Amino acid sequence: MKTIPPTCPEPEFGRKYWRSLDQLAETPEFRQWVEREFPEGASEWRDPVSRRHFVKIMSASFLLAGIGLGGSGCRRPEQRILPFSKMPENYVHGVPQYYATAMPTRGSAIPLVVKSNDGRPTKIEGNALHPDSNGGTDRFAQASILNLYDPDRAGRFAKRGNVATPEQAFAFLENLSVTSNAGQGLSFLLEANNSPSRIRLQKLISEKIPQARWYIHEPVDLDIQRRAA
Amino acid sequence: MSAIFPKWTNRLPLMIIIGGALIGTAVVAGAWYYLTPKYSKVGYQPVQPVSFSHATHAGQLGIDCRYCHNAVEKSWYSNIPASSTCMNCHNQVLKDDPRLALVRESAQSGKSIPWVQVHRVPDFVYFNHSVHVNRGISCVECHGQVNQMEEVYHFQPLSMTFCLDCHRDPAAKVRPPDKITDLNWKWSDNPEENARLQKLKGEQMVHEWKVESLQTCSACHR
Repeated sequence: MKTIPPTCPEPEFGRKYWRSLDQLAETPEFRQWVEREFPEGASEWRDPVSRRHFVKIMSASFLLAGIGLGGSGCRRPEQRILPFSKMPENYVHGVPQYYATAMPTRGSAIPLVVKSNDGRPTKIEGNALHPDSNGGTDRFAQASILNLYDPDRAGRFAKRGNVATPEQAFAFLENLSVTSNAGQGLSFLLEANNSPSRIRLQKLISEKIPQARWYIHEPVDLDIQRRAA
Repeated sequence: MSAIFPKWTNRLPLMIIIGGALIGTAVVAGAWYYLTPKYSKVGYQPVQPVSFSHATHAGQLGIDCRYCHNAVEKSWYSNIPASSTCMNCHNQVLKDDPRLALVRESAQSGKSIPWVQVHRVPDFVYFNHSVHVNRGISCVECHGQVNQMEEVYHFQPLSMTFCLDCHRDPAAKVRPPDKITDLNWKWSDNPEENARLQKLKGEQMVHEWKVESLQTCSACHR
């Protein structure tokens, strides 16, 4: 039981000081708050079932539940195996798959073979069958495996900084030739690359949107050597 | 002065020693018997979502294990067949059987059939199916006569002793690789002749294929 501290004896005469605005106001709610042990409604258990009885019943039921679990809960957990519904071609669970691909660089591309475990790329190596590289890679190609798991990698379409659904984005791009007024004021920002596919696409777009302009941005100017030579 | 303790307490130390020994023996014996995979795993036969009978398919019809478990020779993991594998035959055979409703539904909707796992080695054990199967260890050595099981059950304890017994003497179990999935196969019907041939041919195979008797910890616990 909380011991209620004795109220500070007020001086019999002289000035009387108040210690809080509530005391100054001296409302009946405040008087009650000072004198009660707990706020109203917090301490009474008005149910005919006493608190002690309730705890008794609950502990008994927990005990029974424990016994019930002892019977069934000690069994080994049932695990499910979920095979494919349709078997993907050339896939064997537990054996990695290798994909031939190319990593575009500024001036060319590095032929690569990517090892993939259950759909997750795990290692990048050079493509030994390619006459250009004979299986060689550079450190950028080796490290590019980390780019695939980069949390900052663009994973969605954005329009003016807001997330857009793929449908919205494709619809926007589809109508670009109409909405952009033959490309006036329209610019494409690219990084340096000499992919033939990109050159072809660039040409196709230029035919449709003739006045669009193309800019290439590179953070590092690697052409400087060529210009100096 | 009367005695504080009654007389029978003189025997108390003896009773404690004997009682303790008896209880200790009971606990050890109980754990030895009940807490081993031999008791807890062998005979485990969960109810599967589809009442697929290996006895009918592998036994009676004689379908090779590798028709469905086709990755067993290539991967550490022996795959559970996809629903499409079932439908290869069952789009013709028993087309409208109600027992196959789940398989048809799965093949159509793309949702997996939730088979219940029967055989499971702990995560700290690395077991490679392909290396065993390709070196002449039959399915039957670990999985039992699945071709006679209506519903698959755990046949061997798959405990560490079980693995080591065979790893210490692989010659006692190897068989020609083309007889791996023939679960009834024996060298000879005569048990004595069978044992003789197993020893003779087994040792020859172990030697010729350089089957290693791996007993290092890291062979399985990688």
